[in-house]
Amino acid sequence: MPEKQLGAWSLDSQLLGANYWDVGWFGLLFTLMIIVFIVFNVKRAKKGDNLFIRRISGLNAIDEAVGRATEMGRPVLMVPGLSDPVNATAVQAINICAHVAKTAAKFSNPIIMCAYSASMFTLAQEVIRDTYQSEGYPERFDPDSVRFISDRQFAFAAGVSGIIHREQTAAAFFLGEFYAESLIFAETANSIGAIQVASSTEATQTPFFIAACDYVLIGDEFYAASAYLTRDPIMVGSLVGQDWSKMTAIAFIAIGCLNASVMQCNIAAQTEEIYETHKSNPKELADALEDAQKLQKNNFSIPRLIKADKPPKDLKIDREKAPEEPGKEAETK
Amino acid sequence: MNDTIWARNPQGDLKMFIGGGLILGIVLFFGVMQTPIQARRPLVWLVTFLSGGFMVAYTYWPKPINFDAKTELPKNGVETVGSFLQQSFGVVSSFVQIIAAFLLGLGIFSLLRIHLMNIARQKKDWVFSVILLVSMLSMIIFGYWDFMIRQGEKAVDFDDPQFWRMPNMVRDFLFDGLLQQMDAAMFSIIAFFILSAAYRAFRARSVEATILLGTALLVILSLMGVVAGAWDDKVAALAGDGKTGSADFIMNFKITEVAGWLKNTFQTPAITGIKFGIGLGTISMALRIWLGLEKGGKA
Repeated sequence: MPEKQLGAWSLDSQLLGANYWDVGWFGLLFTLMIIVFIVFNVKRAKKGDNLFIRRISGLNAIDEAVGRATEMGRPVLMVPGLSDPVNATAVQAINICAHVAKTAAKFSNPIIMCAYSASMFTLAQEVIRDTYQSEGYPERFDPDSVRFISDRQFAFAAGVSGIIHREQTAAAFFLGEFYAESLIFAETANSIGAIQVASSTEATQTPFFIAACDYVLIGDEFYAASAYLTRDPIMVGSLVGQDWSKMTAIAFIAIGCLNASVMQCNIAAQTEEIYETHKSNPKELADALEDAQKLQKNNFSIPRLIKADKPPKDLKIDREKAPEEPGKEAETK
Repeated sequence: MNDTIWARNPQGDLKMFIGGGLILGIVLFFGVMQTPIQARRPLVWLVTFLSGGFMVAYTYWPKPINFDAKTELPKNGVETVGSFLQQSFGVVSSFVQIIAAFLLGLGIFSLLRIHLMNIARQKKDWVFSVILLVSMLSMIIFGYWDFMIRQGEKAVDFDDPQFWRMPNMVRDFLFDGLLQQMDAAMFSIIAFFILSAAYRAFRARSVEATILLGTALLVILSLMGVVAGAWDDKVAALAGDGKTGSADFIMNFKITEVAGWLKNTFQTPAITGIKFGIGLGTISMALRIWLGLEKGGKA
């Protein structure tokens, strides 16, 4: 297939490499927009602009839960999810756990933090130790309070459930990535009467937490926690930037809905026309409908912008041949 | 051959690279150890920024179409960079695994310390600590023994149990016979927990809880073949055979239709909205980490 006939693929093959117009720009521009929104709002917040964050009851409950544990003289349990390796979700979960640890350090309340992966364990231990030090109570930090349990999902679930039962934890924080084990944790903690604050970045697990826990951070409330708890300008600014991005995305969704609706109307009219023209010949009708469908699929402007066609597998781009590897040449001889 | 440094055949000058890398690694390690704690943060940020930058470049840099690095030369500068990024991706990603392997040692150390302490002080339920350590040790020993046998005799088909020797049998018993079964048992417990959680969640204590109860009941009934069949048949009988507007309207009250409408109109958009918020939150968090704006543990 000659390169000139390939439409968008050949547009930028000289300058940017083929296929970039179709698959790259939208994602890149959207990401850049998010970055600009976040950085701009961080600057705004640093300047002292008063940026509003609504009340999140799950985060307000942290002090209440730790206070209750102190009154009962029982430990606070924290599980920062099943992220392996450590990712953005894990870092956020550990951030919230650090706040819990800070409160627990003030009250001299014991904590237990269960890590699913070795990398999470190392990070969590460092962060919790730092928290105790920065609060001025390094002697209250127990290195065994952060524990590596297992990196197998249900072995971890069994281990954590065992700790909940044995230690009779008064408060439990399940924050981060959770999967099928979420309900095992939540129900076990519920069975011993522990107050629970939970959040899962897996949308399928959120209903389980809602059913079984006292407070749940839903969706992006989990990521709002740092900003909410610290009111740090960087965090608050980034949260507001995130909201701006969300608004823009909602606008895109609305435009996309309109676009799809208009396209659907056109498709319906076109299909009716094809049907009227070819209704006497079923084979012709089927072929015409199939052709029209293919054409319509490629003509959807918004889906094409986001999810473009891939270049054909047999597309040949003229390139120079690479010289033979010296070792291989000798081998062939 | 147009491979990058990452994909080179480990002969010739690559040995020099490996040796150089090792020396550089050792120098860096001791350098970092000598660095004051305050100065380590920018260093960590620099490494994070470079690693994140690589992933950003890999994602957004144009990828050369149908390019075979072994036989072809890149067409232009953009393709050269794209090809380099693509070939480097696997190797750079494996850095994570290498670091995780080092950290695993720390994890095992934590386990040993806690459970050996439990045994030494004979704390409550210390017997479980003994069982844990014995299990861990057995799995490590027989796991490696089995691995060594399989590696040493590649011609033997170890998928066939008749060729197994004692270590293979023990590993199979420990892993497939015990661990997998206990995993399955833990998983099955969820069924009972769902029941107890549902019992609490579906009590009609408020208007919202009552709506939840009603919709849940409809969806559950729609999944019960006998109930759904009987209900839908009744609705179909009520609608009759005529293709009238009212018949079409009545057919909307099939329980499977109602449940489908609930799932498609309420459940899916709500979950999509939640996922969307999580996605943006993750991007924002990743960006803060990448640009060094995130101060871990300061929430």
